[in-house]
Amino acid sequence: MMLKIVGGLLVISASGLLGMVYSYKLSLRYRELANLRRLMQMLETEVTYGATPLPAALFSVSKKAEGPIGSFFCSISRCLSDRSFYTVREAWNDSAESILTQSSLKRTDIDLIKSFGSILGCSDREDQKKHFQLFYIQLSHQEDAAMEEIKRSAKMYRSLGFLLGIAVFVVLA
Amino acid sequence: MKDDIKILEVLEYLPKHIGAMIAKLPEKILMDAEEIRLRLAKPLCVSGSNAELFIAANGYAVSAAEEAYFVSEDDLKRALQLTCNYSLYSVEEELRNGFITVSGGHRVGVCGRTVVDGGKVKTLKDISYMNFRVAKQVLGASDKVSGYLLQPPDSIYNTLIISPPQCGKTTLLRDLVRRLSSGSKDIPFKGMKISLVDERSEIAACSMGIPRNDVGIRTDVLDGCPKAVGIIMVIRSMSPEIVATDEIGRSEDADAITAAVNAGVKVITTIHGSNITDFLNKQDLKRIQKGVFERYVVLSRKKGVGTLETVLDGEFNALYERSKEHL
Repeated sequence: MMLKIVGGLLVISASGLLGMVYSYKLSLRYRELANLRRLMQMLETEVTYGATPLPAALFSVSKKAEGPIGSFFCSISRCLSDRSFYTVREAWNDSAESILTQSSLKRTDIDLIKSFGSILGCSDREDQKKHFQLFYIQLSHQEDAAMEEIKRSAKMYRSLGFLLGIAVFVVLA
Repeated sequence: MKDDIKILEVLEYLPKHIGAMIAKLPEKILMDAEEIRLRLAKPLCVSGSNAELFIAANGYAVSAAEEAYFVSEDDLKRALQLTCNYSLYSVEEELRNGFITVSGGHRVGVCGRTVVDGGKVKTLKDISYMNFRVAKQVLGASDKVSGYLLQPPDSIYNTLIISPPQCGKTTLLRDLVRRLSSGSKDIPFKGMKISLVDERSEIAACSMGIPRNDVGIRTDVLDGCPKAVGIIMVIRSMSPEIVATDEIGRSEDADAITAAVNAGVKVITTIHGSNITDFLNKQDLKRIQKGVFERYVVLSRKKGVGTLETVLDGEFNALYERSKEHL
């Protein structure tokens, strides 16, 4: 009997934890998007006011953040400095695929980020500024979607985890 | 030896395979090379003071254009990205003037379609011609000339260097600045304060504000500033004894030079042309055609780059003529 109760508690807490982890991951996506916005704003300043060349601009921005977005920027900067790619787009896409796919960002987020790589550095400052503004608008759609998801699903995943645990326990008992 | 070959510094800004082709050329050709030309769907070309060579894909110089490597659209795009350090916006101003100065003072001329806004060139797009010009500082280029320009004991004459493109005008100006600024023991000359208005960053070849060429110990460099504005600025701020600048041509330049001369500052500058008449025919420069310059130095490349043709004084009397020297 004792064994049954302990086992049951283990099952319930494990699946409950699973639900909590899953809902935490949802909020991670939102945090990373917010982090991305912050860094992009810094990059915009470097580009449109400082006219700093990209390798230097990306590197100085990357030092101001941790996590996957920071290493994403750092990786592009490195790729460009050591000339492993000829265009920003190639370096940007390569880093996005290798680093951002490891993060909590969804495919749609990554695709949006990738689309920006073909624009960055390819025109004058005025035009770059416009593209940054457009990017923020698109980014806020993703942020809204992420927020919506948190509201809708985070609570559900948490309770679902516990309920699933209880159901398993009932069936097994 | 390798360090002397300036062209190798330029190869960094070319796509790797093109760089590799050129690096295979014999050292003698590389030493002499002045330009690498990329033209869309045209043969890759390296030219020096006395030869023009087409380069084949295997890195051999060929004389027949058909055998050469043909430059692709991709090559040009990549070369442009490398030249502007992946950031077109950072060379916006320079693109408007048609060239980008890269580290080492080398100059990359670009040509393509211009976007015009209100009569002014806004930017260049569809770049399909690039010309990588190798900058070479020639210490001692002014040895022959400087004697004519010094006004003992401690001043100089207002000087105009007249020369067609590619004849060593900038090289001569740079070496004059270096010599006049540092002074010299052989000809007792103590050195003067010089403000160098380097609109196109090709005299001092500044990168991040540091001159990459030796322009002397008493030289202040105003980098990237339009000449007309810059001359007035330095006169007010740096109290120079000499103002040096390159390639005058517009009427604002003439005004600024008049202002400098009236302020008691000596001027050294250059202009495109092949003789004194070319200078006197320039309508925009009417104001400074008489009574401003006291020495005119005319260059050509008849006996190699930087051949000194004639030196004239303010009244256009010849002080030196190459054609008479050998008689």
